[in-house]
Amino acid sequence: MSSRGSASAPVVCFALGTLSAIGFAVSYGFDLSTPYLGLTSGLAFAFIALGLALWASSIDKAEPEYVEEREVGPTPSSEFEAFHRALTTSPIPRARLLWSMLGVSFGAVGLAALFPLRSLFPNPGGSPDKLLATTAWHKGRLMTTEEGIYIRPDDLETGSVMTAFPEGYDTRIAEAATLLIRVQPDELVLPPSRQDWVVDGIVAYSKLCTHAGCPVGLYAQESHLLLCPCHHSIFDVLRGAQPVEGPAAHPLPQLPLGVSENGFLMAEGDFSGPVGAAWWGYES
Amino acid sequence: MNDDPTSPVTRGRRRLLQGLLVLVVCAVAAGITALAGSAAPVRSAAAPAASAAGRLSSAADTDTLGRRVFLRDCAWCHGNSGSGTNNGPSLSSAGEADADFQLRTGRMPLDSPDDQPQPGPPAYGPDTLDALVRYVGSLGTGEPLPTVRPGDVGHGQSLFTANCAPCHSSSGTGMILPDGTWAPQLYNTGSEQIADAIRIGPGEMPRFGDKQLDETDVDDLVTYVQTLGRPQVKGGNPLDQFGPIAEGIFLFFVPLPLLLLVIRLLGKKAP
Amino acid sequence: MGRRALRKADDRLGYASIARTALGKIFPDHWSFMLGEIALYSFLILVVTGVYLTFFFEASSALRPYTGSYAPLHGREASGAFASTVELSWDIRGGLLIRQAHHWAAHIFIGSIVLHLCRIFFTGMFRKPRELNWVIGVALLALGIFNAFAGYSLPDDLLSGTGLHIFYSTVEAVPIVGSWLTFLIFGGEFPGRFIIERLYPLHIFVLPAVIAMLITAHMGILIRQKHSHFPGPGRRDSNVVGSRVWPAYALRSLALLCAVTAVTFLAGGLAQINPVWVWGDFRSSTILSPSVADWYIAWVEGALRLFPPIELHLLGFTVPNQFWPAVLLPGLTFAALWAWPWIDRRITGDRGTHHLTGRPREEPMRVAIGVAALTFYGVLLIASGEELLVEWSRWPIGTIRAILRTAVLSLPFLTGAIAWWIARRLRDTGAEGALSLSASQLLVSHVARQTAEPTAVEDGAVTVTEVDAVSDLEKASAGRPLTEEPAWIGPTPEEEG
Repeated sequence: MSSRGSASAPVVCFALGTLSAIGFAVSYGFDLSTPYLGLTSGLAFAFIALGLALWASSIDKAEPEYVEEREVGPTPSSEFEAFHRALTTSPIPRARLLWSMLGVSFGAVGLAALFPLRSLFPNPGGSPDKLLATTAWHKGRLMTTEEGIYIRPDDLETGSVMTAFPEGYDTRIAEAATLLIRVQPDELVLPPSRQDWVVDGIVAYSKLCTHAGCPVGLYAQESHLLLCPCHHSIFDVLRGAQPVEGPAAHPLPQLPLGVSENGFLMAEGDFSGPVGAAWWGYES
Repeated sequence: MNDDPTSPVTRGRRRLLQGLLVLVVCAVAAGITALAGSAAPVRSAAAPAASAAGRLSSAADTDTLGRRVFLRDCAWCHGNSGSGTNNGPSLSSAGEADADFQLRTGRMPLDSPDDQPQPGPPAYGPDTLDALVRYVGSLGTGEPLPTVRPGDVGHGQSLFTANCAPCHSSSGTGMILPDGTWAPQLYNTGSEQIADAIRIGPGEMPRFGDKQLDETDVDDLVTYVQTLGRPQVKGGNPLDQFGPIAEGIFLFFVPLPLLLLVIRLLGKKAP
Repeated sequence: MGRRALRKADDRLGYASIARTALGKIFPDHWSFMLGEIALYSFLILVVTGVYLTFFFEASSALRPYTGSYAPLHGREASGAFASTVELSWDIRGGLLIRQAHHWAAHIFIGSIVLHLCRIFFTGMFRKPRELNWVIGVALLALGIFNAFAGYSLPDDLLSGTGLHIFYSTVEAVPIVGSWLTFLIFGGEFPGRFIIERLYPLHIFVLPAVIAMLITAHMGILIRQKHSHFPGPGRRDSNVVGSRVWPAYALRSLALLCAVTAVTFLAGGLAQINPVWVWGDFRSSTILSPSVADWYIAWVEGALRLFPPIELHLLGFTVPNQFWPAVLLPGLTFAALWAWPWIDRRITGDRGTHHLTGRPREEPMRVAIGVAALTFYGVLLIASGEELLVEWSRWPIGTIRAILRTAVLSLPFLTGAIAWWIARRLRDTGAEGALSLSASQLLVSHVARQTAEPTAVEDGAVTVTEVDAVSDLEKASAGRPLTEEPAWIGPTPEEEG
């Protein structure tokens, strides 16, 4: 076997790898774009990998397979007994009691150590059920766009959709985002108790999907359908945002709309139910 | 030269060839990936409509031209005076913006009333388009042609994310609607046509009036939409900027199979 | 000069004979045994690239002005997390390469763990004595998935933020304590102002430390028990046949490390991944399409999409819809994975100790269950890409959903049955592989079994010399060449009959 012959191929590979690494440094120095950086660094490693593989394979060809005995297995009983005795025999009496009480005290310390986790809760606290069931909307609260501009009914054209928030609201919080959709008033099919929740054909629904909370951002104007892109729940705007397809199991809560003295849209109360996904303590 | 197939040199040569094969596959995949990234996006829309021709010529004879073309190509669906027939809707609420959008993005005219409007090259030259847009606009009471100026790309992205990304996707690559139709891709669309669509809300798209998005807002939006596609790409092949679905498909077709090939060559088969 | 340095170290540590034993250790060579190494090396790459990223990333959800070159963000404010990620990607030389390599390495890490898990499963090498290593491995998969989720949520972009909202709703669905648990994790209602700051130490320190410790335990057990090997000439339960660690195996392993690094950096430079500046910074009132998670979580998204709109109201409580696909299904999945060695024992009745890798065909029932499971999760994964199916077929979503719902409930049985049948035929006819089965071999069922079952070492019995109490580290290197005529230890298969 020619030792030079089997060594030359890996050497060439390592040389190419070296060149690629230099190429990477040069690419970085000249601020070339990411693809160049990736190509040069990747090829450097690729050539080195190839060189190593060729080297390893030439060694493999020169070596036989090896065999080794497995020694691990169960320890013979006498030895195991000796180990167990060494572990459990105690030179002083009532060792069992001492070990047990040590266990109890460690357990107590461990449990006590969990208490500071409570500080991860919001401060001040409060039952999550109550906080999840209500939003910042209340009777008389004016609506604004995300940029804080008040909304008149005529700002919306028929076939339009807009996202509205309570006046003065921190729009980074999710819960109060509301969809305003304007349709032809005679197309709406709402229960009698909600007939006065509509202003000039404008209906207001929570924007958070009742399946897993994603904003229901897609509105198909001709079909009057709202589609949630996360899991493809579809809600019928004309029928109180009933889910017509997909995994959502209850409608988007509706917000009663009114008009203030100055002609701006406002809420006449909170949503008809909790917004977003249901949870264990959810009540519609 | 040693011809013995079992000699270490010949086997070494075979290993070298196998290894080079892996490298070549790597390099070809890398090359294709990089080059594909420099080509047009995979699902590119039609050629850009002539946005410079948004300003219509006002010669009187264009009205006659517009009326003639309308009667020849459009009246059989939309009616002689645009009042609609069994085949096509009335144009009484349409305006210049509707006509400009539908005609300049090649969606209209349709060969058959059952066809779905698809974006494509416009069917007419610029002068005929001007004339048709004026004429159709005169038949109805809809939106006038919007004027578009350069806007603030930053505010545009903010508006786009709030109003457009849910349907058209953040990268403007288009997305499905509930009934199987598409919010189309926005790459390579003319500025005026984007503004038209915002105002008229074609098809399932909602409309955005000037009290909801004023002229500056539309300018900003259009400026941002024109940055979609190639200018957003920074780190190699964009994989259509489709997100984790495309990235996952790529993973199972390129890096993982490559690594499987590598260990297949490095290790041995079962005895 | 190298020899002198080694000698000086040995003067102080006395390591030479231990090292000599270690250098002579035998590792079997089958290519499928290297899948776990791909996972190991991609973890190393994750740590190295991750450290680099920590120099530039700001784990802050407080708003600050963006100071980079991406035009749409000029003069605007975004959270420190989002702004620093875009600045790293657009304005730090090499930043985007390292960031994309980091994300691709995560994909390769979890993907190779899954392939490795399949190899272990189908060859039955979770059986005694490797049950503990299997349990550790499944824990590594779970931790890897969770750490990856935490990692891609750090940039606080619109895509991952939506995923966090779904995570919030999922934790809410945990029975009884769900809403308390969510408030604990998020510090209040979604999104709160803490989640980025809390995910960051988990992602860069706590979970990687646990993963590293578990990897160490995993490899320690592997070294102690020695790797398994395929049946073949000279190979018994009581020995291990392969190549020596030094130099052959080490070089090959180093080659694999370089290859994994090469693929990661080629992908990191040539294939854009997670362009967060396109998605935009996270705002809780808007969303983008398509809204899906990375593939290793997308199977849960698929389940959320396919599960019908069932909401139960029992005894004043609500079992929300997302509980079944997003809490129960993943919980049962991992419970079944962890318990599998013991479930398998009940199914196959095999309680023996095995160091010889089983051929999948030996246990057709296990093959069937494995193939059925892969099909089930595969269909869920496809369901997470419904948008593409709609694009290709132009059918409405409802139709696609109906097809996928039918498929997820029926296809696993079909593929499981086919896999079971093929495994049975392979086992009974002794054919080389599935493709070499002739039509009659495939269809005729009453053929006597050609191969004897491989011998299993019974519990407690040792076919080699008695192991004495001296640590095997103190034994000299035991590797010796496997000669043409292997010296059998114990009765041969023919003698056992």
